[in-house]
Amino acid sequence: MATRRSRLELIFDILLAIQNKGGKIKPTHLMYKSNLSHKLLNNYLDELIQKELVMIQEEIVKKKKAPNKTVHITEKGLGFLAEFRRMREFTDAFGL
Amino acid sequence: MPNLFLTLDWFQGIDLIFEFVALFVALLIAGYSWKAYRMSDEHKFKYFSFAFLLISLSLFVKALTSSAVYFQGTRIAADVILRPVLGAAREYSVLFYHTGFFVEMAAMLGGWLLLFFVSQKARDRLKKYYEVSQLGLFVYLVLLISWVANFKYEVFYLTGAVLLGLIVLNYYKNYLNNNNKNTLLVMDSFILLLVAHLFFIFMFVTPFFYVFGQIFLLLGFIFLLYTYMRVKHK
Repeated sequence: MATRRSRLELIFDILLAIQNKGGKIKPTHLMYKSNLSHKLLNNYLDELIQKELVMIQEEIVKKKKAPNKTVHITEKGLGFLAEFRRMREFTDAFGL
Repeated sequence: MPNLFLTLDWFQGIDLIFEFVALFVALLIAGYSWKAYRMSDEHKFKYFSFAFLLISLSLFVKALTSSAVYFQGTRIAADVILRPVLGAAREYSVLFYHTGFFVEMAAMLGGWLLLFFVSQKARDRLKKYYEVSQLGLFVYLVLLISWVANFKYEVFYLTGAVLLGLIVLNYYKNYLNNNNKNTLLVMDSFILLLVAHLFFIFMFVTPFFYVFGQIFLLLGFIFLLYTYMRVKHK
């Protein structure tokens, strides 16, 4: 049975999903890719925006009342992904 | 002047360099682990960092006491610095040496013990209450052993070797589970440190065993440094 993901692993999965989609992704796609509920994803996104790891961009589309939202990964977010990978290597190497 | 064991004259000072290299590596690993703790908030990184900090403290205190034993200049400098603070209490300098030996041993054994606990996978551990009581018992034993070893140094290295043997077993399991070069390197590092301790135990046979022990200790920390560099520059 797969173990429960830690908070940090969830953040890593969200950022990785954005990176794998070329740096930007629609929130609905992100919800499926990171395997999170709508409520949980929003909570995490708020935290990531606050920490400047991602940002939301809105595009106004004709024939649509509400603008299209996309989640973008920032430079800081990419740095976090690289650091997290190193930390995972460290954890594996030292059996933590 | 008290000394735990006799060392070869030509090696006095070289061993200090070896210990400072080991100290540098231990501080690097402690620092990175602390950074990982700040990033993740996971306690295992905090304990791992603390274990390497204890090892650093031990190496630092050993270097200090050894330099006081080896070099008259250090003794005179320490005497000048401590005179205004201690006054007549300097007559009990033997006690200060023994305090140094005690801190060195307790910190090193505490570091190995903590590493052993951290290298155990969580699922193999007992429940928290038992874990705390177990740790308490071990801390008491470490302090007791460090005190006894002031009179019989072999006890310290023998206990260190037993703890390192258990750490090697944990890292062997880790290597079997992950099967990559980094886990193999970490296991090899601790095997080298174990061999160093085995040489230290038998120093009474010949003082050359101290030299061999120090070389293996240095090699163990260089292997740890190499693993750290591989992880950092991935």
